[in-house]
Amino acid sequence: MKIIVAIKQVPERDARIRIDASGKWIDLQDVEFAMNESDAYALEEALQLKEAHGGEVVVLSAGPERAGKTIREALAKGADRAIHIQSSDETELAKFDALGVARLLAAAVKDEQADLILAGLQSDDLGLGQTGVILAELLGLPHATLILKIEKTETGVKVLRELEDGWFQHLELPTPAVLTIQSGNSKLRYATLMGIKKAKTKEVKVVSVADLAASAQSQTPVVTLDAVKLPHKQRTTQILGGTPAEAAAALVEKLQFEVRAI
Amino acid sequence: MHFVNAVPSALGFLFAGPLVPADPGRFSLVEKLTLAVLIFTSAGLFWKRFGVVLDKILKSRKDPGFHLGNIGKRIWDFFWEVLCQAKVIRERPLPGLAHAFVFWSFLAFALVTLNHIATGLGIGFLNSTGIFGQIYFWFAALFAIACAISIAGLFIRRFVVRPIWLAREGHELSWESGVIAGLIFALMATYLASFFVADTGPATRILWWTHTLSLLVFLPLVPHTKHLHLILSPFTIFFSRGAFSDIPPLSGDEDFGLVTGKDLTQLVSLQAYSCVECGRCTEHCPANNTGKILNPKEIILGIRGYLNEYGPTAEELLLGKYNSQEAAFQCTTCGACEFQCPVGIEHVPIIVGLRRGATNTGEWDNEYGSKLFNAMERNSNALGLSALERDKFIQKQELPIFDGTQEYCLWLGCMGGYDPKGREIIASFVEVMRYLGTSYGVLRKEKCTGDPARRLGNDLVFQQLAESNLETMQTQKVKKIVSICPHCVRTIQTDWKEFGAPPEIEHHSEFLARHQAQLPHNKTDEKIVYHDPCYLGRYRNIYDEPRSVIASAGTLVEPERTRERSFCCGAGGGLAFLGEESGQRVSSVRAQELVATGATTIGAACPFCNTMFRDALANGENSPRLLDIAQIAAMQLPQPAAKPQA
Repeated sequence: MKIIVAIKQVPERDARIRIDASGKWIDLQDVEFAMNESDAYALEEALQLKEAHGGEVVVLSAGPERAGKTIREALAKGADRAIHIQSSDETELAKFDALGVARLLAAAVKDEQADLILAGLQSDDLGLGQTGVILAELLGLPHATLILKIEKTETGVKVLRELEDGWFQHLELPTPAVLTIQSGNSKLRYATLMGIKKAKTKEVKVVSVADLAASAQSQTPVVTLDAVKLPHKQRTTQILGGTPAEAAAALVEKLQFEVRAI
Repeated sequence: MHFVNAVPSALGFLFAGPLVPADPGRFSLVEKLTLAVLIFTSAGLFWKRFGVVLDKILKSRKDPGFHLGNIGKRIWDFFWEVLCQAKVIRERPLPGLAHAFVFWSFLAFALVTLNHIATGLGIGFLNSTGIFGQIYFWFAALFAIACAISIAGLFIRRFVVRPIWLAREGHELSWESGVIAGLIFALMATYLASFFVADTGPATRILWWTHTLSLLVFLPLVPHTKHLHLILSPFTIFFSRGAFSDIPPLSGDEDFGLVTGKDLTQLVSLQAYSCVECGRCTEHCPANNTGKILNPKEIILGIRGYLNEYGPTAEELLLGKYNSQEAAFQCTTCGACEFQCPVGIEHVPIIVGLRRGATNTGEWDNEYGSKLFNAMERNSNALGLSALERDKFIQKQELPIFDGTQEYCLWLGCMGGYDPKGREIIASFVEVMRYLGTSYGVLRKEKCTGDPARRLGNDLVFQQLAESNLETMQTQKVKKIVSICPHCVRTIQTDWKEFGAPPEIEHHSEFLARHQAQLPHNKTDEKIVYHDPCYLGRYRNIYDEPRSVIASAGTLVEPERTRERSFCCGAGGGLAFLGEESGQRVSSVRAQELVATGATTIGAACPFCNTMFRDALANGENSPRLLDIAQIAAMQLPQPAAKPQA
């Protein structure tokens, strides 16, 4: 089974976010970067499928040179090789919308003949949730989103999708297919020293954004980003009084019906 | 001269016997030849096994980072631990002294034994009519008496009293120890008896041959049994890695810790063959004492078993053969085993080495472990919280940011920065520093020291954190750090050295002790029990400083196991993050011991101990108050800073 995993390097969740001078993106100085969370789960799914059925896991990432660190991390966890669509600087890729990025990704993998292409459900920074789906469309492949579980069948895959309100859907798809993976279902493995050392010798094919864009159909973005703003935080704290039993009962009720967390 | 003459005559009177052992006279050629054949056979049988052991030790990998520096300390350790038998005696005074007498007798007997064999070959050199010979024979006789009594006592202990620590699973009693004890007793008895028989009589001959045969049977038994420690342990102690619980650096791209036989180093192999199976390590092991499968003695004997079966060049995994992964990951790295070991075995680096082998290669698959490592990698703290939480705490407490002008960099650590209880300790310590007018600041950004990763064998995470922190220290020009956490202190001061030069660091107990004179004291009658954290006591040799803080506030009481023998709280070695333990909880066993002193306050000096005891005491009614020494010091400050913030 040949599986391609699309991975994005995003600002760390803890990063101190400041809007940059243009007002269109965040100031990237002093920001540390990490692997997008749902992409990490996509990678984990791919590695588990490879462990069960054999094959190859190829990492695909678009980003400036710094994304190489996240690619290495994926290789250290067990991916076999990588394709790095490298932008010349921090701003080059910002000009692309989800469609544009998906075109780059599609152009990079069209000759790979993969059985599965996995992507995280959405990115932690932009959170559009579109790139994987558009990629499927561009490649003419069936797709499914919000995937929690993948099982290989004789003709394709059987997947479990998460719907809202605690509902799930079982689906069967023929392969090749594109799946976008939801966070949290599997246990993420940790990167090991041995993995990092082995990753040093694994192949990372670097292709430039400009080269790929030239071969893609159109470069005009259909969506442009006008401005970004920091969210307005509003916090209300309620102290639940009474005996511990009463407080616990009140808490359960609030979690169930107000927050809808349980 | 006066004294020397007095001793033999006094004892001579006591025994009413002659002043020297009987002279067996001249030996026939047949006897001499028989003796020669027996010596060769004995030596051959000795070498047949010892040669194999030596070969396995020498064929093991060289120890990376080992150098024979600090000769003074090595000589002192050799003198103190080998010649004086200090560790043997300290932990078990009576059997320890008995052992010491057997050992000292062996030393005293070396000359007598040489002379004994030489006599058989007709070249005896100790003249029993000469003054030196007489004195020496009597000198040896004194030791022979002490040795015979001691070995008889040890025999009774092993076979009648039967302390469980001496046993091994499947080997309740060690028959070989019985045989050895019998041989030693025979050696001493025959020597002493020879003082009472007439020269050249048949009894003299029989005694001589019995002594000789005991000796020649004893020799080959040594390398075949745990008595190999007679030969190896002096070397093990002299060639120790040099520091307590010293984790060696990894060397090259293929070193991931102790993965297979090929990773066993010469020191590890030497230590494995030196184990005397006394069980002091197991007796003090918190994991073993609370019903877990980890048994530090069996870890070492497991390595020996592996070496015997597979050898030091084998590519079979170490874990899963004689040692289990489960046992290796039950260790709290408290170091009680290593501290007690009388033959110089360094258990902690070996156990951590086995963990490194499992973690660095991804063999260790543990839900909590993976979560911890991912949290440390993503959030740079062991609790997996956002760094913003730490920022908020710094703002709330109005802690100044370190800018290079202050004297101290106050290291918060994961507990101090994120844990509610740890934050209380920081708040109290800050009150004290403010009272003293000490200038300090905290780092704007601080990452975990990497301690849990280091002890759980994840060198990747540890290295990343250590390097990143070292860089911060350098750019911020940090010279002096003070920390409330003994784990942070140890890791920064010792473990970071693998990747750079860490600044000077001290534990807040050292700071507080030094400033006792400048701090106000309201001494009460309150009984406060102090718990020695492993990483402050055994690891850093700090025992009196925290006690001085407690003694200034109340009446210091000691729990049953204290100071060097303190019993772990269960948190060390990353275990605080690994979820529920099997067997009893180490923390509740220790907490009960502290409660049993009748103290109304428990004084702790480590945020991990503190959090473990807080949980362990949560269910108890009328549990004592749990305070860090910083809180105890802060409580005595004038109002309004008089009480710790709840």
